[in-house]
Amino acid sequence: MRQAVGYVLFSCLLVLLQTTLIRYLAVGTVGPDILLIWLVYLAMREGQATATAAGFFLGLAVDLLSGSDSMIGLAALSKTVAGFTAGFFHDENKVLQNLGGFQYPLITAVVSLVHNILYFIVFLQGTDAGWLNAVTFYGAPATLYTTALTLIPMFVFARRLRTQL
Amino acid sequence: MVKRLYDIALLFKEYVLFAFFAVVSIGLLALNDTPQIRSLRSLTVLSVGFMQDALSVVPNYFDLRRENSTLRELNLTLTDEVSRLREARLENIRLSQLLGLKEKGHYGYCAANIIGKTLQLLRNTITLDIGERDGVRVNMPIVSESGVVGRIAATSSRYSVGQILLNRELRVSAKDQRSRVDGIVRWEGGRMLTLQNVVKTMDVKPGDLVITSEYSTLFPPGIAIGVVNATHLTPGSLFQSVEISPGVDFTRLEEVFVITTQPDTSRTAAEAKIKP
Repeated sequence: MRQAVGYVLFSCLLVLLQTTLIRYLAVGTVGPDILLIWLVYLAMREGQATATAAGFFLGLAVDLLSGSDSMIGLAALSKTVAGFTAGFFHDENKVLQNLGGFQYPLITAVVSLVHNILYFIVFLQGTDAGWLNAVTFYGAPATLYTTALTLIPMFVFARRLRTQL
Repeated sequence: MVKRLYDIALLFKEYVLFAFFAVVSIGLLALNDTPQIRSLRSLTVLSVGFMQDALSVVPNYFDLRRENSTLRELNLTLTDEVSRLREARLENIRLSQLLGLKEKGHYGYCAANIIGKTLQLLRNTITLDIGERDGVRVNMPIVSESGVVGRIAATSSRYSVGQILLNRELRVSAKDQRSRVDGIVRWEGGRMLTLQNVVKTMDVKPGDLVITSEYSTLFPPGIAIGVVNATHLTPGSLFQSVEISPGVDFTRLEEVFVITTQPDTSRTAAEAKIKP
């Protein structure tokens, strides 16, 4: 129970960070998605069901806090799919090994790409901009940025893993 | 049963959860009214329409049976309606032609339906559904849009009987419209009429229109009788025999007009004075 409350509180903190401060980390228009990093962590740690539910609520929170420009439900949908996708990589016997190894950033890259493709397909509907261009020039760099940022928690978990061994 | 469903849902809880949250997300998305969502809506409608169109080739037996039955009934109703409309159209054409005739003439006309007809006898007649109460009198001319039909031979209050051109007792003063040659039209049997009393030297050719002449005391002048079909020269005779094809098709005749304008009696009275 304490762990669940901790997850919720930490999620709220990350949502606030994502919607306020993360823009200062942006390079041009490309910024990382720390919620996806957290979502992959939850998937590795708690499994697919938790990650799917967490994806929905995190996305919904982002939708609600993003102001009038966003489409309510779009981030919820894309993060639900992201959480569900991340859940396929869950292995309860190798949780720490996966989080402390390069599996973590790799899985984040895959999940982020799926997330961005789905997001842009819906977001660019009916506009002149091609979603493939948007994914190439915005989604893919954002995926790389997010993947690179995953290296930080990965090294933290790697150190913890070495300590345990 | 519920327990079994619960077990299945628990077994696939990840998929159930995913489906639930995805549906909720899509529902929330659908509530937006942005250009993207409008575009997605139209895309969805297009896709659903395409799917329905593709699946419509799969026949539903019970629907087809009911549809067949409905279509059969509809077919019967429509066939009946088409038949009645066709009949009405033909009647309309005939009546329009009659109306045209009525508008062209300067006489009083009384429309009548033929309710009886004989065509196989030597004295053929037609029975009309109008009589004395409609102003019909003996000797009044009967015409149609194609020309002379005959004359009234007998009347009752509601009905009248007319001698038609195919009647040996009826003779009509006539003339060739082109050459103005006079003669008497009568029927001697068969399908053709004959123009009699035409001298051999007179100019009558096949194709000439034969009309009623001013000499007739029954028929107004200028009404078509028929077209010259052939001329025959009989050796030893002063006259030629002119064969006329009647303008009126008596086998198909259904409606006629009776000309109710009476002939000028003073003319007939004057002519009677000098008759031998």
